[in-house]
Amino acid sequence: MLDADTLSILTESAKYDVSCSSSGSKRANGKGGLGNASVGGICHSFTPDGRCISLLKILMSNECVYDCAYCPNRLSSNVKRASITPDEICNLTINFYKRNYIEGLFLSSAVSGSPNRTMELLTETAIKLRKQYNFNGYIHIKGIPHADEALALKAARYADRMSYNIELPSERSLKLLAPQKTKDSLVSPMKRLRAAILCDRENAARRGALLPAGQTTQMIIGASPESDGQILRLTEYLYRHMGLKRVYYSSYIPVVRSPLLPSVPAGLLREHRLYQADWLIRFYGFDVNELCGEGENLDTDLDPKCAWALKNMHLFPVEINSAPPEMLLRVPGIGAKGAYKITEARRFCRLDFDNLSKMHIVLKRAKHFITCKGKFYGAEGNAARAALLIAGRSDSGECNQQLSLFSDRENAVSALTGEL
Amino acid sequence: MKIFLTDGTTTGFYTAVFDSYRENGAVITSRKNMQLAFDTEIVNVAADAEKATRVRNKLDKLDRYAAGDVDLALRSDDSLKEQTSFEYIKLIVKSGRAVRRQLSVPAVIEMSEIIGRVTGELHKMKGFLRFMETESGALYAPYAPDNDITDLIAPHFKARFGQQRFAVHDVKRKKAALCDGKTWFMAEVGDADIYISEYEKIFEDLWRKYYVSVNIGERPHEKQMKGYMPVRYWKFLPEKNGFYDDKT
Repeated sequence: MLDADTLSILTESAKYDVSCSSSGSKRANGKGGLGNASVGGICHSFTPDGRCISLLKILMSNECVYDCAYCPNRLSSNVKRASITPDEICNLTINFYKRNYIEGLFLSSAVSGSPNRTMELLTETAIKLRKQYNFNGYIHIKGIPHADEALALKAARYADRMSYNIELPSERSLKLLAPQKTKDSLVSPMKRLRAAILCDRENAARRGALLPAGQTTQMIIGASPESDGQILRLTEYLYRHMGLKRVYYSSYIPVVRSPLLPSVPAGLLREHRLYQADWLIRFYGFDVNELCGEGENLDTDLDPKCAWALKNMHLFPVEINSAPPEMLLRVPGIGAKGAYKITEARRFCRLDFDNLSKMHIVLKRAKHFITCKGKFYGAEGNAARAALLIAGRSDSGECNQQLSLFSDRENAVSALTGEL
Repeated sequence: MKIFLTDGTTTGFYTAVFDSYRENGAVITSRKNMQLAFDTEIVNVAADAEKATRVRNKLDKLDRYAAGDVDLALRSDDSLKEQTSFEYIKLIVKSGRAVRRQLSVPAVIEMSEIIGRVTGELHKMKGFLRFMETESGALYAPYAPDNDITDLIAPHFKARFGQQRFAVHDVKRKKAALCDGKTWFMAEVGDADIYISEYEKIFEDLWRKYYVSVNIGERPHEKQMKGYMPVRYWKFLPEKNGFYDDKT
């Protein structure tokens, strides 16, 4: 039986993995089996940092042969080491699942021994869980760089989702901070899995057998000098060309002291803005060029959609009763749900501001960009609008405090140039 | 003004709709402790299957999903659930067709909000329900949801658990969904005598340990945690509050 200290060590080591979603798969339960996957995902608890717990997030081992500068489990780090066996993990997963604590397993590992040996262990655990323990809940497996691609393909047959973390937004930073990982060792298996998934989806007979919830990845923000523009361009490439389901950003926290790394955290606001832009790219039909120039950073005072709208006032205001849905989606303050409500409601009667507020469309930002039956209640002139929007910001407070610590770009640059 | 007081059942509600339909400004409720105006007349509605069927048939003809909407709304703990459903039905009859897409009409907005709170809690409880293993190997989950959702949540766990025996117990409404591994059914259950397995404490402690370990202390955001996981649900979550700590 697994003891509490081992669990604690291996969870502490896994907690910086952001991904905890259990969505995208609708795996059914089999005869005599336990568990299924819910396509929308289910959150089972929330920790005091505001994140959800959906999966049992754990490392098989935190004994690592790699020495990535940012990682608390790197070879030269002085942390407690532990590892557990596939059976211990299966047992824990089944028992947590039965009590409805979790939706499934997110299994990762430090590279202990060789990459191939590590990947084999992860795959063995997934197979054991599916075949021996007859578990049909959600399984997310982390891909190990430099492991044999055949092993990754084998794991993909049993997992719902796999992820290779690209860790840093450029090859140069990767070389500096994670010298044993190469861009190729991360991107090549992702491409290979992408091809396998595409082939699987085309083959209707066994559709969805391979990684039904696709692939995700994660990168650290603020440990290296890349701009938001570069990060978002990479993100867009990953979504549009690699078919990724999610790109996660993890705002840098200095858990490790190193001359290569900035000594202050990157701040939650930057991470927040990146996620906002990420959503605009995926669900709102925005192109990265509209949001952020190549070497630029996102506006910290305004959310990316507001910033875009203020730069493109020639498109506004739009008339609520006639604007096409794709234009409604571009109005600051109106989201997918709001746009849907408006397009449905206006088929039956013409809408005014009173209707909108009764429908719980938030007008605080939107009023500067819309007219209802020709009436406009927003501020005149861009300067006035921007001032009002910044003053009325809802995400001040906690994020703002981090702002003073934020932007350690120069430090990071000097760290980079000093080394190279 | 007339207030039609129902027994809280669906049949009672449809009977009240039948009885009050021609009355001007009639109110339907199942609440016993309403504030009464000076000129209020209270009509006690006796559930009548025949009247209820006639209303249902009419409703089904106009919008075959409306009865499903009403069923969800009547599960709510909202004190206006009957009146809101009544207004919604009146609007359907007046329009002669489904109205759920007329999203700017107040009756539709109110109805969809009540339904949203019921289905929202249903989804949340799929995550927040906590089972305990009993000595005989069955799983037992007590909870106290705001809305009456036990028979809606049972199929979700039936699909997951396969042949596993389990019980979902709404301790507030004293009812439970019981599953013997093949089929599940609803039953009235007051206090349950549960003998918890000796392993239960081990896994509960492991889960608490996991909960503490997976948190990133450098990024506190309690407000968000409480927003997603309201404090009133914590009573049944071992990671927030040991439900049977004192018993073991």
